[in-house]
Amino acid sequence: MKVSQKDLWAGGLLMFLAFIGLWINGGMLGLGLEQHTLGSARRMGPGYMPMLVLWLQMALGAIIFVAALRNGPDDLESWKKLDFVTLAVGVAVALLIWRVMEATGYNTNYIQVGLACLVGLLLLAISPAWRPLGMVLGSFAIFGLLLEPAGLMISIVALCVISSVADREHTPLGVAGMSLFLCVLCWFVFIYELDIRVPVWPGSF
Amino acid sequence: MELLLSNLAHGFGVALTLNNVLFALLGALIGTAIGVLPGIGPVATISLLLPITFGQPATTAIIMLAGIYYGAQYGGSTTSILLNLPGEVSSVVTTLEGYKMARNGRAGAALTIAAVGSFIAGSFSTLLVAASGPALTQVALSFGPADYFSLMLLGLVISAVLAQGSVLKSIAMVVLGVTLGLVGTDVQTGQQRFTFGVPELSDGLGFVSIAMGIFGIGEIILNLERPEARSVLSGKVGSLMLTRAEAKRCVAPVIRGTLLGSVLGILPGGGASLAAFGSYMLESKVSSHRHEFGTGAIEGVAGPESANNAAAQTSFIPLLTLGIPANAVMALMVGALIIQGIQPGPRMVEAQPDLFWGLICSMWVGNLMLLVINLPLIGMWVKLLQVPYKYLYPAILVFCAIGVYSLNNSVFDVYQTLFFGILGYIFSKLKMEAAPLLIGFVLGPMMEEHLRRAMLLSRGDITVFVERPISATLLGIAFIALAAMLLPGLRSGKDKALAE
Repeated sequence: MKVSQKDLWAGGLLMFLAFIGLWINGGMLGLGLEQHTLGSARRMGPGYMPMLVLWLQMALGAIIFVAALRNGPDDLESWKKLDFVTLAVGVAVALLIWRVMEATGYNTNYIQVGLACLVGLLLLAISPAWRPLGMVLGSFAIFGLLLEPAGLMISIVALCVISSVADREHTPLGVAGMSLFLCVLCWFVFIYELDIRVPVWPGSF
Repeated sequence: MELLLSNLAHGFGVALTLNNVLFALLGALIGTAIGVLPGIGPVATISLLLPITFGQPATTAIIMLAGIYYGAQYGGSTTSILLNLPGEVSSVVTTLEGYKMARNGRAGAALTIAAVGSFIAGSFSTLLVAASGPALTQVALSFGPADYFSLMLLGLVISAVLAQGSVLKSIAMVVLGVTLGLVGTDVQTGQQRFTFGVPELSDGLGFVSIAMGIFGIGEIILNLERPEARSVLSGKVGSLMLTRAEAKRCVAPVIRGTLLGSVLGILPGGGASLAAFGSYMLESKVSSHRHEFGTGAIEGVAGPESANNAAAQTSFIPLLTLGIPANAVMALMVGALIIQGIQPGPRMVEAQPDLFWGLICSMWVGNLMLLVINLPLIGMWVKLLQVPYKYLYPAILVFCAIGVYSLNNSVFDVYQTLFFGILGYIFSKLKMEAAPLLIGFVLGPMMEEHLRRAMLLSRGDITVFVERPISATLLGIAFIALAAMLLPGLRSGKDKALAE
């Protein structure tokens, strides 16, 4: 048996997403999160098209999954132990932060989402294999977290510093110069020329 | 004919206003720059610059975005020829003969024919868009909801069939795209679907967030994972002039490339890269110098370069006449138009003549500018290549982040983009092609609307789709395309043509 791992996971992912969708849509056994009205073929309700599309997606996912069993070999890159650990810890901590902040009411302006993403991604980046993913997306998360309270300039610097960890060739001086250059450039393009509504310095919002 | 001329005159009146010329130039320059730089493509750039265009009138915005698209086709060829590094997928074939020519000391000639061929192809296909646009629009106006549904289905099928990799997975990606398009308020009943009570989602998932996350950020992560060494330019560009013999050899390939590219560009999912590959294969079979292929034959540059530019222009035809995007870039254009409050479709020619004719004429103006600015500026573009990627990617990230935020002034969009960055990363690891997803996402909501309307009109009778002749024909073509691609022989041929 030559199994294509990539197709196997792709088919699984499609089926999983379709399953979640169908569950929310309420097409199965009348249990559902949002319970969209199905309607009839003549007068389709809001739940009709999702039902059609999601079942189609489920079927395609299943075909890809089955075909993958003799489609390969096409293996995923092999993961080290550290990769598994950081992924598990990162996801667990992120979920925990999100739930706790949601429950305690620290959830204005999606701060709980941003913080959960940031911490989870930084934990993920401990493993060298995940570092580009973790640091690039982590820099995006910190930008979102800092932009409104601390302003554009500080956010740009933070984004540059965090994302520079993803590439080992960066030097501290290079990062500093790049941050300064990007701050000036963004100020000129977005504030001076385009005048977009965004806080530039802390406390100006 | 007279009408066409007066329309074109009107278009040039719009395209040649100072503001529009400046933005066409700006778009063409940005396009060339990103075409030169590997690792950032037109899809990411256009989604990046979408927010910047909001302050401009719709015509100006689209003119600039179009400039980026065809500018990228020009820029991509420069690095293919000089450094054997294709800046864009559509310039991959140019490396085959172009780089060989450069090593033979004929880099200048290759660059010239790439630019001139592109210009000729661009001029011809601009005329084609102008001539066929209104005619096709007339046809499209007789379409009912059922016909529209079938047309979109055909578009989705062809875009999946022509995408790289497994057809089955591409179709699944289209369907996933349609699924993502379901999120938001149901237009007919006002019910919230799949929004989890998040108010920001009631308008649906952010189109820009998806495009930027998957094509922009996902791409950066992948580039950082496999750092590739970039060779510094060695050798000289040489004389830009073509010899008489070279010029003669180029005439037929340019014409063939232009015609082939114009046709392939109209097909959904086709576009520039398919046209370039097709033209190369054609030239290597029919050219009288085919024995020179592989050692630096000028036909192998002239044909594909003309073809990819012709295709870049004609892929506007389905968008401007039917409102259906032929590829991911055109899907972004639909997004840009909708944000500007314009529903793309057959009524656009009459309702927005400035936009329609102005855009067509600006394409020609833009092509002319590219010809004039590109060759003298070659040195500058090569310098741009020497900016290390480690300084480039944080800059792209910053622009992405600010761009996404300024869409709605909401951090939610920043996190949404982050989420699609993760998803895009997973997709590329699992070899799931993302371009069909974007097209499905754009067409999905329109399809649902037409499906519901068609079923209401037919009182729930599904046979309406095969009873109407237009709809039946379109569905038939879709079925044949699908069946043909599941045949093993044709599939391997396509894979060969699209293999990078």
